[in-house]
Amino acid sequence: MRKLLNLFRWKRQRLEKDLDRELRYHFERRVADRINAGLSEAESRRQAQIELGGVAQVQEEVRDTWIWGWLDDLARDIRFAFRSLGNSWLFALGAGSVLALGIGTNTAIFSVVNTVLIQPLAYPDARRIVSLEMLHTNTGRTSPEVSDPDFRDWQAQSSSFEAMAYCFGEDDVATIVNGRAEFANYRLVSPDFFAVFGLPPSAGRLLPRTGQARVVVVSREWAEAHFGHAEAAIGKTIAVYGGALEIVGVAAPGFHYPEETNIWAPAGRLGQSRVYRGLQVIGKLKPGVGLASARTEMQTIGARLAHQYFEDRFTNVTLTPLKEHLTGNVRLTLWLLMGAVSLVLLIACANIANLQLARSAARTHEIAVRAALGADRGRVVRQLLTESFVLTGLAAVGGVLLAHGIVRGLLALSPVDLPRVEDVRIDGTALLFALGLMLVSTFAAGLLPALDASRRNTSDALKQGGSKGAIASGSGRLRSALAVTEIALSVMLLAAAGLLLRSFEALHQVDLGFTSQHVLAAYTQYVVTNRKEAQDRIAFYRDLLRRVRAMPGVEAASGAAFLPLGKEPRPRIDYFMEGQPEPPPGERPKCEYQAITPDYFKTLKIPLKQGRDFDERDTIGRPRVAIINDSLARAAFPHESPIGHRIRIQRGPQWLEIVGVVAGARWRDPSQPPPPELFEASFQGKGGSLSLFVRTTRNDAGFGEALRRTLQDMSPSVPIHFETMDEMFSEALAYPRFRTELIGAFAGIAALLAALGIFSVLAYLVGQRTRELAVRRAVGAQVSDLIQLIAGQGLRLVLIGLVLGVVGALAAARLLAGVLFEISPWDLGAYAGATAVLGITAMLAILFPALRVVRIDPLIALRHE
Amino acid sequence: MPPFRFPIPQGTLDMLILQILSLEPAHGYGIAQRLEQVSREAVQVNQGSLYPALHRLEQRGWLKAEWRESETGREAKFYSLTRAGRNQLAIEKESWNRLTAAVGLIFNEGQ
Repeated sequence: MRKLLNLFRWKRQRLEKDLDRELRYHFERRVADRINAGLSEAESRRQAQIELGGVAQVQEEVRDTWIWGWLDDLARDIRFAFRSLGNSWLFALGAGSVLALGIGTNTAIFSVVNTVLIQPLAYPDARRIVSLEMLHTNTGRTSPEVSDPDFRDWQAQSSSFEAMAYCFGEDDVATIVNGRAEFANYRLVSPDFFAVFGLPPSAGRLLPRTGQARVVVVSREWAEAHFGHAEAAIGKTIAVYGGALEIVGVAAPGFHYPEETNIWAPAGRLGQSRVYRGLQVIGKLKPGVGLASARTEMQTIGARLAHQYFEDRFTNVTLTPLKEHLTGNVRLTLWLLMGAVSLVLLIACANIANLQLARSAARTHEIAVRAALGADRGRVVRQLLTESFVLTGLAAVGGVLLAHGIVRGLLALSPVDLPRVEDVRIDGTALLFALGLMLVSTFAAGLLPALDASRRNTSDALKQGGSKGAIASGSGRLRSALAVTEIALSVMLLAAAGLLLRSFEALHQVDLGFTSQHVLAAYTQYVVTNRKEAQDRIAFYRDLLRRVRAMPGVEAASGAAFLPLGKEPRPRIDYFMEGQPEPPPGERPKCEYQAITPDYFKTLKIPLKQGRDFDERDTIGRPRVAIINDSLARAAFPHESPIGHRIRIQRGPQWLEIVGVVAGARWRDPSQPPPPELFEASFQGKGGSLSLFVRTTRNDAGFGEALRRTLQDMSPSVPIHFETMDEMFSEALAYPRFRTELIGAFAGIAALLAALGIFSVLAYLVGQRTRELAVRRAVGAQVSDLIQLIAGQGLRLVLIGLVLGVVGALAAARLLAGVLFEISPWDLGAYAGATAVLGITAMLAILFPALRVVRIDPLIALRHE
Repeated sequence: MPPFRFPIPQGTLDMLILQILSLEPAHGYGIAQRLEQVSREAVQVNQGSLYPALHRLEQRGWLKAEWRESETGREAKFYSLTRAGRNQLAIEKESWNRLTAAVGLIFNEGQ
């Protein structure tokens, strides 16, 4: 670009200098003539001056003609471009739609990237808001969970923050609003929580600093849904966990941090243990304090605490901008998509450059005539570039329209928790981006063909006559190079799509260790406030399960404390084995915890490997029992059967007797191997409210509603919502699916474009060599020889493209490593698949032009002369 | 006291320049001198407006220019007619003739 500007500047300077010389020549000749006619020098100069009417003014007028001339040319070029594109409307339509597709997909993905990753969050001074997390120095991992004493030390000892706060809580908490039981997302927050975000309330006030424990702030949207409008919510009482709370304020519109919170309540005094970590900490930096200096300060504090407290000895503090913290898991996916669509656009440009070259070959004569009529090379290049410009301009308009549709489609496909996805739209920034793409593609697709066309030898072309002009061999090489580039780029995309597809397949085929087929998972919450009610709860669920098992079509039913697949993270707890020394905190082995009713393993078809399932005998007052999975069995009892051994968990002082061992299940995340698990019997008073798992004989859409009625007959104050396990599983795979589908689609487009590229090169080649081929036929060459000749040339291009593409893909594969499951980035299958797909497509693209050879009549050779 | 000369009509200057250059290439001063000769009695050409006209014609592709040595030995910018310029001159002559013939017809009608 700078070169181009310099070229302009240089040209301008030359023009000015020339004009100056021209006028000086005139003036001095005039003066000399006057002196010859007998006037004095001074008088001659005066007269010449008057006649010329002021040099500066003349210069100004001449400059005007330059500008007008330029604009005039531009207008003419544009008119001409429209006419010329109209004449070959098939080309214009084809090239235009390919480019529109390229620009459209890029603009759409860009607007997602821009909204989700680039634009600041919708809070005042959002760039100053950070998330503070625990760095576990022994494992190198960070975890957002912080203990209350640590939080208070961070807050007291740091000076970089305007406000620091925490929040914690759960989604789907049983709430009674307007007399109806339902779920709400509930968070307890520290006093400065709202100060961090700096948004004023919609109505009422935000949470008070002190006193008043039984008050809450609710989200604007939640208030409107339940009370009509924000003001109406103020002063209303709702029940959360069975306790009455008064609404004192409604948050700013659109505010629902963290996640989709509906209700915020002030947190009371929390525990003193530094090991009990469950708070999410956020802070707002003081104006002018940089992230780096705040990080340094917090690291100093973290190191001091690690030194001071035994429980913290393997910890420190890390700071991440809140935006990054929220978008961490989508970053890679979105940038991958952006990369993929840029490749598609590049391929589209290469394709259009290729088509332009074919066209300009056909227009050699026209261009030669224009050159002969006095158009200089720059003028021809400019005209051809204007044509590209008009084409890309039209394509950009189409692309932006298309982008609207694509964005809508993307939103429909996208995982529900893509942050801020609801704000994505084609805005001014996206339009600017599209404009930039248009300019880039004008030059990418137009410059090479234009330079090439203008380079052709005028007199040769004129001598040939007609549209079958002579072809500089350079143009053929250029076209081949473009086709090779297209093939190589599409192989890269196809290989990426192949890797993602293989990984997605692997995820789908992974043995979860439990069945999701025909299983309905229903989340319920039975709120208790005292020991007596806790007893009632056990009876309630026992009774509920009995009724559910009696419902028609039910094969098995059971309950568990935590839902699978990331819906409800299960606690990870320390365990201790009887007869072994207790390791110090921080070095204790951990397992995942779950509390279940009998038949849980039967319902989910989890094989029992040793011992027995829980049964009706395992109730309060009976000996405490536990079941472990084989991961835990292997870790804790590597050499003997665990049955009959006793184990203790962090939550209670009592020893549990291990009565059974079950197979491991990928309960939390299909891509992770089963972690060690320990199960307690829910009816021994463990685990609180239960989620029900019901396996039916077939998929029954109405079953969930029947279940709801059964539950509500028993108790109207227990809320329920349900989902099939298949739906849950599908949601858990939302990101991999999103990536795979989109990159697959883009790779498909790329492969088609590449095929079009190779097709056009070969078709052009056959066209150019018609006479040569006819002569060969005339002197006895077989059709098959000719086909071989042409196809061989095509195959060479394809092979070079494939090799380059595979090399490029291997080099880029590392970028994908982070999203691949059980598939190496160097997976042979993916590369073989990509090569095969493109190879076959390219073969077809070669076949058609090659077969045209059959139709070549040897007589053409004679007729042409 | 020079004789009365009326200003050159709009657009006519371009045609005169093309006409002069159709005979042989010339530089700006040469063109100015030729114009002065042919129009001494009747037409007044402001020399200052000559150069914008030349550049405009060059922009349109009717003239091309090159620097070469002039009769005085110094380098001067010589203009010559392109093929497009020659066509243009033919078109302008044609329409000029038609215009003057038509105007003449109207003037002669009453007599």
